[in-house]
Amino acid sequence: MSALGHYLEEEGIATVAIALIRPQAEHTRPPRALWVPFELGRPIGPPSDPVFQKRVILTALRMLVEGGGPVRIGDFPDDDPREALDPDWHAPTNSPPSAGWGLGAPLAAAVEAELRALAPAYAASCVARERSTVGLSGLPPAECGAYLAAWLRGERPPSPVEGMSPGLALRFAIDDLKAFMLEAALTPGTRPSSRQLGDWLWDRTVLGAGLQVLRRTILAGDDERLKAVAAFFVPALRVASGG
Amino acid sequence: MRLEKLPAEMAKRLSELECPDFTTRPWVAGAPLAERRVAIVSSAGLVVRGDKVFRGRDADYRAIPGTTQPNDLLCSHISINFDRNGFQEDRNVVFPLDRLNELAAEGRIGSVAATHYSFMGATDPVQMVDGAREVARKLTADHVDAVLLTSV
Repeated sequence: MSALGHYLEEEGIATVAIALIRPQAEHTRPPRALWVPFELGRPIGPPSDPVFQKRVILTALRMLVEGGGPVRIGDFPDDDPREALDPDWHAPTNSPPSAGWGLGAPLAAAVEAELRALAPAYAASCVARERSTVGLSGLPPAECGAYLAAWLRGERPPSPVEGMSPGLALRFAIDDLKAFMLEAALTPGTRPSSRQLGDWLWDRTVLGAGLQVLRRTILAGDDERLKAVAAFFVPALRVASGG
Repeated sequence: MRLEKLPAEMAKRLSELECPDFTTRPWVAGAPLAERRVAIVSSAGLVVRGDKVFRGRDADYRAIPGTTQPNDLLCSHISINFDRNGFQEDRNVVFPLDRLNELAAEGRIGSVAATHYSFMGATDPVQMVDGAREVARKLTADHVDAVLLTSV
C-alpha cells in the first residue's frame, strides 16, 4: 500500500496511507503514512462507529497539509474499542468440538444442516445491515454448501461456476460460506469482537470443523494445485493442532 | 496492528516482508483540506458485485464508482489472515466512502471523487506500477488532488 502512495505521488497526486504494519511503512518510506494500532483488516478502526472512524480519517488527511516530508510516518494513539468482548452477544449455534469429525457423508450432511439452520439468522442480519458480502463465487449460499458438501464426502466435483477451475470455485465458495456464517452471527443490537466471532466459527461450528478436515486431507495429498488452494481455507492462527 | 499481539513468528514475517526500495522521494503539496477532492485507493481486493473478482495475485485494479451501494461491495483479497468481520458489519472499516461524503457535507474536505479504485495488496508492488500510473491519470482527470490509501 505504501508503494502505491509512492507511485501516485510521483504522478503528482498527494497521498496518505493508513498503515497497519509500521515496519512495512518504515521500509517502503512512502510520502505520508499514518500507523494505526488496529487489527489487520480494520484500517479505519471500529465498525459502526462513525465518530471514531472520522477521527482516524481526519488525522490521516491532515498530514496532507502539514509539512515534515518527504517521508513522514505518524501514529494514531487510540486502540479500537471494538476489540473488547460483548457479553451480550451469544453464538447462534453450538456444535460439538471439532476433533471428532472426518471426511464423509455425515460431516457433509451436518454442514448442510447447519447452513440451513442459520439461514433465517443470515437473512435477518442482511435486512438489518441492508447488505451482504456473500457473492464472490456467484453462487447462492445453499449452492456453495452443496458444492462444499461434495468435497467433504470425498468427491472431486466439477466446477459449478463457468470460467472457474474446481479449486478456485471451492475457494470462493468457502469464502462465501464463511461470510454467510459470520454475518448470520451478527445479531442486530450486539457488538461482538472479531475474536468472539472467530472463536465461534472455528471452535464451535461444523463448518469450521469441516474446513479443518478438508484442508488437512488435501494438504496430505499430492495435487499441488489443490494444495495451493487449501492453504486458503483456514487462517494461520486458527489451524488446529496437528493441521 | 500492535505486532506484539501476534505470535512471534507471524509478527516477524509481517515486519520483514520484502518492500520496494525506492530511490526517489516524491512529495506533493497542495491546497487546504477544505478545498481538496479526495479519493480512496484500497489494496483490499475490493470489487463491485458482478465485476471480475481478483484471482490470486492479479496486478490490475478495479474501479469503484462513488455511487456503489453498500450491498454491492465485495472483498476478494486472497489473504485469509486478516479480519473480515469489521467489513461485513460496516464497509467504512475498509472503504470509508460514507465518512468521506459526511466530511464533504460538513465542509472539512472539499469534495469526494466520482470513482475510487482497488488493487490486490498481496501482489508484488512492482507489478502494480502500470496500473497505478493509469489510476493516477484517471484521478487527475477527475480533478482529485488527495488520495487516502487503505490497506488490510
